[in-house]
Amino acid sequence: MEIVEKIKAYKSIDNQSEIQKICLDKLQLSPLPNPKSEQWRLSNKSKFSNFLDYSVNEKDLNFDAPFPNTSQSIIRLVIGDNFPINLIEENYSITQLSEDKLVKYIKGQISCFDHNENWSDLLNLSLNCSKNTLGLKISGSKIPPIEIFSNASSNSLNAKTLIIFLEKNCEIDLLQVNLGKDNSSLSQSTFLCLEENSSLNHGVVSYGENKSNLLNSLNVIQQKNSEYNLGSLHFKFNYARFEIRIKQSEGNAKTNIKGMQITKKDEQISTYTKIDFDGPNGFLDQINKSLADDKSHAIFEGSIIVPKIAQKTDASQLSRNLLLSNFAQIDTKPQLEIIADDVKCKHGATISQLNEEELFYMRTRGITLTEASKLQLSSYFQEIISFIPVSKDRWDLLDKLLNEN
Amino acid sequence: MVNENLVKDVVKEPYKYGFVTDIETEKIAKGLNENIIRLISQKKEEPKYLLDFRLKAFKKWQKMKEPDWAGLGYEQIDYQDIIYYSAPKQKEKISSLDEVDPKLLETFDKLGIPLTEQKKLTNVAVDAVFDSVSIATTFREELAEHGVIFCSISEAVKNHSDLIEKYLGTVVPASDNYFAALNSAVFSDGSFVYIPKGVACPMDLSSYFRINSGDSGQFERTLIIAEESSSVSYLEGCTAPMFDTNTLHAAVVELIALDDASIKYSTVQNWYAGDEEGIGGIFNFVTKRGKCLGKRSKISWSQVETGSAITWKYPSCLLLGEESVGEFYSVALTNNLQQADTGTKMIHIGPKTKSTIVSKGISAGNSINSYRGLVKMGTKAKGSRNYSQCDSMLIGDQASANTFPYINSQQPNSEIEHEASTCRISEDQLFYLQSRGIEFEEAVSMMVSGFCRDVFNQLPMEFAAEADKLLALKLEGSVG
Repeated sequence: MEIVEKIKAYKSIDNQSEIQKICLDKLQLSPLPNPKSEQWRLSNKSKFSNFLDYSVNEKDLNFDAPFPNTSQSIIRLVIGDNFPINLIEENYSITQLSEDKLVKYIKGQISCFDHNENWSDLLNLSLNCSKNTLGLKISGSKIPPIEIFSNASSNSLNAKTLIIFLEKNCEIDLLQVNLGKDNSSLSQSTFLCLEENSSLNHGVVSYGENKSNLLNSLNVIQQKNSEYNLGSLHFKFNYARFEIRIKQSEGNAKTNIKGMQITKKDEQISTYTKIDFDGPNGFLDQINKSLADDKSHAIFEGSIIVPKIAQKTDASQLSRNLLLSNFAQIDTKPQLEIIADDVKCKHGATISQLNEEELFYMRTRGITLTEASKLQLSSYFQEIISFIPVSKDRWDLLDKLLNEN
Repeated sequence: MVNENLVKDVVKEPYKYGFVTDIETEKIAKGLNENIIRLISQKKEEPKYLLDFRLKAFKKWQKMKEPDWAGLGYEQIDYQDIIYYSAPKQKEKISSLDEVDPKLLETFDKLGIPLTEQKKLTNVAVDAVFDSVSIATTFREELAEHGVIFCSISEAVKNHSDLIEKYLGTVVPASDNYFAALNSAVFSDGSFVYIPKGVACPMDLSSYFRINSGDSGQFERTLIIAEESSSVSYLEGCTAPMFDTNTLHAAVVELIALDDASIKYSTVQNWYAGDEEGIGGIFNFVTKRGKCLGKRSKISWSQVETGSAITWKYPSCLLLGEESVGEFYSVALTNNLQQADTGTKMIHIGPKTKSTIVSKGISAGNSINSYRGLVKMGTKAKGSRNYSQCDSMLIGDQASANTFPYINSQQPNSEIEHEASTCRISEDQLFYLQSRGIEFEEAVSMMVSGFCRDVFNQLPMEFAAEADKLLALKLEGSVG
């Protein structure tokens, strides 16, 4: 109940938006997710309660950009920066969604929420104000890449919401960057709707500082013939959860996911994915990598759901994990739930350490152990990083990761 | 498309073990309370420690909740509406098979279980359990020559009390789970095997469980102890008559392997599965676990699960001894409205331990077939390895196949590999076989058999042939 009280204390009923009221009512019934539910049972309880410890904050203070300067060919947006967006060019248009459409869409989403599964979204929407919600409608082609930032301020709990409608035949590269500050909690919920024939290359890069926490939820609806490519990277969070829910609402869509999480010290980072195929001829290729060092804990749970209607689905899911320390821990659970009979579904999982034979080979060629390990790690990271759009030329993520490891 | 109607015309093979033996039985009143447990213990003339074990388990059970995480849909079981002890009436003590009620011998004869002398040639020693009691155990003298003890657990309580006291409940503690606690409180009979040091058991041992009574549950308990450098292959089979009501079967199997010992435990489970509408059938909630206590010990589970309305079963290995090995080979077939949630747990505790999991699930009709497994590498399991493979085959678009592998590793110097796939009977292959003059049913049966080959290869000879036949029969009429 504490969290509900906290939100109410911060925002009186009169100031609450319609969405906030609906979500608060839902939260009031059972304020926290069930710790025994499949989605939350591995979540570290003290870290999770630490997430909720901070006071709610709607304003961002001193947001300096710790990231490369923008170039003219890139559109940069910061959630919370209150300026109207209205870019109408010859080939494309990026406009802000009207309040009505936003509310209608979110209400539709909330109506199918499951308390445990969508708890992060419920929290986000009950915390959030319209100032920290960015709703965009994008159409056209040859659109310059977009970078969207969400950040938390120190010693506070911030909530940011992003909603994007990609209209028919639209193609775009989008990089979403979530930044955590010292002792902060960020709740980021993203809702994407890909209309027919649209294509989105989506990158999600989240990194924090000392004791940052993150609840990052991503909800994607894909209409037919759409293509959704997601490259994600999460690291340096005391506690982070990345929840991905993708629905191919009519099937006949393509989804590629390449995600990675890196944990060190006593961090806990988890990725939960749920892919629903609600129509035939769906395609999914997913790989999730985890690297756990020191006393950290990395978790991956992925489910693929193929109902009777989803004949000819082709789905594969791979969980590859590196465990580098005697005190670290990795949990992985790739799962398949299939009813349609004419499908190709497979999953795989491996947990191991760096390949000793490869290390030995490199050392016989005069490469030091440290260098050899770095080489191995870089190839391990590269597969994911190269899949993250926009960042490639300007963000040297590989370098950043290697220096930190 | 494969012709849906082609096989619907094929006459279905009825469950051929569904008959009831008309025999006078001794039953106690329905219900479960302390007095019932005392009564069971008294009937079996048990020592005090065992009664205490039962009562303690009962107290724990009362505080426990029936697990619902497997998501199996079945009607609430009324535990007070079950008879917890039912035994065919017979003379007090039986000194030879000749004194066993001929009706019982006839029953097992009908089931193809070699109890009578002329059938003993098969060289498999059998312990036959009918409802709550063990009827007969064959080849006992021959086994005794090698020091092997093979008898019912009730007898073992009387004659080898020290071993029972030492090992009972050490692998599956009474508080392990809801059904294990229930079993610990009310277990009636089961088999006991003790293989002394350095002995390779000269023949396969086998238990045959038969539920005859419709209103009594079966709660058998099996305990197998393999001393240093010994080995044994154990086979288990089960059938039950067709009733409209559901019968509860909650068994516990405990295996203990010491240094260099090896135990191979094979099951062909063919309890009555209920009819096409899902009426009747056995609720099979079983806890099977082996403890590789000794260095280089090995426990291998192989199972063919074709029966039961509900199957909830996870034969597991606790790999404690250095370089110990755990194996799990399983074929689970569900048809009509059957539900199976089965898999294994491989808990690697000792260093250099190895485990292999091969699971094949076939779901047909409106059934649900789930693989649920856990592979855990503990902090001391340095140099350990696991390989898991879970394949599912779907027949028809109403059946469901799920895979839930839980993997947890706390040891960097260990390797875990898991792979799973889902397929259907390939039309190309069917067409090829049919074009070569092989009948449709036979072609399907061949392909199913090929799909399960990795597991069948692990079964003892007697079982492999039976399993193949069983699958073909079970699938008859379901392939479309």
